[in-house]
Amino acid sequence: MVANTDNGASPDIQCRSLTKAFPGNVEVLRPLDLEIAGGETTALVGPSGCGKSTLLRLIAGLETPSAGEVLIGGVSPAEMLRDAGLAVAFQDPSLLPWRSVRGNIELALKLARRPADPRAVEDLIRLVGLEGFADTRPGALSGGMRQRAAIARSMVTRPRLLLLDEPFGAVDELTRRQLADDLPPLWEKRQTTTLLVTHSIGEAVLLSDRVLVLTPRPAEIIADIRIELERPRAPAVTGSTEFRRLVEAVSEALAEGVRATKPPLAAQ
Amino acid sequence: MAYFKPNRRTVLAAGTASAASAVLGLSAPRARATTPVSLQLSWLHSVQFAGSYIARARGWWAEDGLDVSLLQGGPNAPVEPPVVSGSALVGISAADYTAAAVEQGAPFRILGVAMQKNPFVIASLLANPVREPADLSGKKIGMALANMPVLQALCTLNGVDVEAIEVVPTQYSAQPLLAGEVDCLLCWETDLPVAMAMEGIESVTMLMADYGYAVHSQTYIATEESLTERRDQLVALMSGEVRGWEAYRADTDAAAALTLEAYPDAGLDLKTQKLQAARQVPLMFSELTDEHGFGWWTDQTVEANIETLALLGRKVSPALWDRSILEEVHGG
Amino acid sequence: MIALADPLPERVRRGASGIVGTIVILLAWELAARALAGAYILAAPSDVVVHILQNSDLIWRALRETLGNATLGYVLGNLAAIGLAGAALAWPRAEPVVAGLALLVFCLPLVATGPILRVLYGPGPGPQITLAALAVYYTTFVPLLVGLRAAPASWFELLRSYGRGRLAELVHIRARASLPYLFAGLQIAAPAAFLGAMVGEFTGAERGLGLLAIRAIRALDIAGIWALASISAAVSILIYTAVGWLSRAVLRDPPPMILAPPALPRTGHAQGLAATVMRTAFVLAMALLLWWGAMTTFDLNPFFAKRPDDVWVALFTATDARETRETLAGALGETVVFLLPGFAGGLALGAGLAILLTLAPALTPSATLIAVALRSVPILTTAPLIVLLLGRGAAGTITLVAVMVFFPTFVACLHGLRQAPGQILDVFSTYAAGPFARLWHVQVPVMLPAFFAAARMSVPASVLAVTVVEWLATGRGIGSLMALSASLSDYDMLWSSVVIVSVLSALGYAGIGWVERRVLTVFASEQVAR
Repeated sequence: MVANTDNGASPDIQCRSLTKAFPGNVEVLRPLDLEIAGGETTALVGPSGCGKSTLLRLIAGLETPSAGEVLIGGVSPAEMLRDAGLAVAFQDPSLLPWRSVRGNIELALKLARRPADPRAVEDLIRLVGLEGFADTRPGALSGGMRQRAAIARSMVTRPRLLLLDEPFGAVDELTRRQLADDLPPLWEKRQTTTLLVTHSIGEAVLLSDRVLVLTPRPAEIIADIRIELERPRAPAVTGSTEFRRLVEAVSEALAEGVRATKPPLAAQ
Repeated sequence: MAYFKPNRRTVLAAGTASAASAVLGLSAPRARATTPVSLQLSWLHSVQFAGSYIARARGWWAEDGLDVSLLQGGPNAPVEPPVVSGSALVGISAADYTAAAVEQGAPFRILGVAMQKNPFVIASLLANPVREPADLSGKKIGMALANMPVLQALCTLNGVDVEAIEVVPTQYSAQPLLAGEVDCLLCWETDLPVAMAMEGIESVTMLMADYGYAVHSQTYIATEESLTERRDQLVALMSGEVRGWEAYRADTDAAAALTLEAYPDAGLDLKTQKLQAARQVPLMFSELTDEHGFGWWTDQTVEANIETLALLGRKVSPALWDRSILEEVHGG
Repeated sequence: MIALADPLPERVRRGASGIVGTIVILLAWELAARALAGAYILAAPSDVVVHILQNSDLIWRALRETLGNATLGYVLGNLAAIGLAGAALAWPRAEPVVAGLALLVFCLPLVATGPILRVLYGPGPGPQITLAALAVYYTTFVPLLVGLRAAPASWFELLRSYGRGRLAELVHIRARASLPYLFAGLQIAAPAAFLGAMVGEFTGAERGLGLLAIRAIRALDIAGIWALASISAAVSILIYTAVGWLSRAVLRDPPPMILAPPALPRTGHAQGLAATVMRTAFVLAMALLLWWGAMTTFDLNPFFAKRPDDVWVALFTATDARETRETLAGALGETVVFLLPGFAGGLALGAGLAILLTLAPALTPSATLIAVALRSVPILTTAPLIVLLLGRGAAGTITLVAVMVFFPTFVACLHGLRQAPGQILDVFSTYAAGPFARLWHVQVPVMLPAFFAAARMSVPASVLAVTVVEWLATGRGIGSLMALSASLSDYDMLWSSVVIVSVLSALGYAGIGWVERRVLTVFASEQVAR
């Protein structure tokens, strides 16, 4: 195992004046400052196309910022990648079609240069509810099942930073609830810093310690809402007034963000 | 149909009349509507077929009512198919190929023999020469394996053990000889030795015809059907050929120049063509042709051909040669 | 205009490496020519330039002729390939017939087709254009068929949900999905069309570079030979580069992730076998009908255009049938000895180099330059050089065959390797996976359909290559037998050889297909689904 330097078990994320423009001067991120504490689960919520996924990719080191920097536990994403300190579950499951569910999960261990760990692999397959499909190839799975396999893959290397981009988009409601019950305790136990991009306000509130609401593009943080609900969160928590208040607050911030960036009628 | 049949005298008279205009590069006036026919050559355009170019340039075919297309040959352009299928009236072949085609059922006849002596030679370098068949023993010879029967025939004719010769299959080029890969080549008198001479390399050539290898080459072939149905056209075509080649013999340098003029895209070199034209003369003209005219043969030469062809594995009857057209051309 | 992020340094770097590579190649060439001076094998680039300048008029006229014919053949051949592949996909039942006949027509050796085309067309550029088209259509058709299937199942489901059929699939999905493979085919076709037009001139054309090449070889005009070889290589490289540029301009999106349901196992072994036999018999019947029908329609003289029944008689009922069969078997034995190692070597080299270049992309321009040049220089020119380096034995012939197989494989694999989906490479990035891991786990598996397409189309290509080498250089084997048969008017033997060569190619093709099905069931089930 690679010795951890200062990006300890639960690295924090610091974005300083992070800017991203794509060719043709499409400005996705305006100078953005953001701090995420280590070990917390943070949700990014914002309207479609606001740059959430770009932010995630910048943090994952898959994009280079136009200006500014990202530091994870004090080091660059590139350095974080080098010892497989982070993992991403993409919106698109991106499984290798010629490998079974188990094969895809095992491959992550191999790529991260970790020893094989059949127990952990089986545990994760069970956790995401794919027992019985371990030897099936992705082409024969439903969209939701593929996503669950991708989630399992993202966790098998025990990353210190976990980036989830709409990980439950295609997962059915029942399984989604199950995952919402099972995953956070594991993150907590492993002290994983988790960043979650989602469209679902309820999901954001249910899973996170903090919800960041983004405005339409170019993204700016319009609200930073702490979720002080107790953990572990029983399914019943969604019925509580506090939960409903938080959901309300996030939706209000979202709507506010959209209103604020809409140009006044006179200007049109 | 009463068709104008030229004999030697009318041919010569007409020839002098139009020769002047042809020399000036003018095309001859066309006396009447012409019949298009094709002559399938056996290889790429070069002075090898200059007699035909002269006949065309001086309008001798046009006078006889023919518009002759000279179809070029090439590595993948065998002569027999167009002649069999009638798209060419006459083809330039050789007695051995014609005999093979006849064995396969082609109704061919030989109408004329342009090369009285077969042009095959064994070419070697001065330092290590092959001057007679006996010299072949112990030598490495470069040739196409397809020509193995030719070498065997030469050896049989001259009592040389073919096993004592090492055969190296090469492509048709002087390069393996010059690179020292082989001691000698089986080739034509008129191509690779000429190429070497142009590079300033003197070579020794042993003409196989001088050692008993009697196979008529550059023969004119046509089908039996043409011989009966298109006789007039054949006579007209051969008559032009005869006059063309006589003119060629008179001035081979002019023939070479005409060849270059006629085919500017062929990539020909004037000096090379002049040398090739000169080297071709002794193969095409002999006492026999002096006496009887271009293209002629006798029962004796046919007999010799049949013997050599038998060595090549071809059973041929003298009836393959049909002199009736030439007889008409040469004196009616 | 969309400019890629920071495109200049990469392009400049590549360009610079290409220029440096070219200079190195030219220097090495010049030195080799100096070292071989006097052997009449290799002319130095400086001599080549002088020769071209001195004969610029002649060469320019010849180039215009050959390039014109090659271009027409290129366009017609590729259009035919597109039409055939489209038809095969729109009417899947027709596919085995279309693919089978396409293979058989491609198998026809020049020695047999050349004279027939000349008789059909008469003088003029007809045979050259046709032979150029025949040289390219198959290497476009086969990858295109693969490309037309290279789309995720969900895309097709979407169309089916709108109640649309196979034609809509073809227009809306398959056409787009096939583009990377089409471009691979178009690149492979560039040198093939040019060479095809040149070889077409051997059938008695009046002008062109091919004629000048024959002339130069006989005349010991080494500068001339290499001038023509250089021009043919340069033209091929230009077309290749232009198609490559076009493909990069068109294919800007990363390739999609192709997920398809697993291929269903064939229904019952015995039934599958029966179906295969039925299909084969049908293709065979169609081929025979086409063969007989074409010759009869064009009223080709049976002296040189042998019909199926003539070949049957020659091989089985004639008095010398046994002898004919023995001659054929002997020649075939000589050919196969060169064919198999050349095929395997070319395949391995092509895939190997493509893989190597994904690991070391800076070498791509120089390596591609050499690859295209090797393919586009006529065998007539390179044969003496290869004989000099490797001798007249097996090594030389095997190398020449390998060169012919190498190029299409290399190009197809290069395009295949680029089909790695962007999202998967992202996943690999997040694990900081090295280039070898990407190669082994993603790029090589996605390359497999292209590789197998290359292997399949290389079967007839290698058979053609070996027969041409035998015809022009070594004088052994079935290629030489065919040439000899043509010169001796033994057209029964020639057409029997054609049948044998076709059967050999079809068997090789089927063998590769068998392996392919098994491999692609795992790695690209969309290719095997019916």
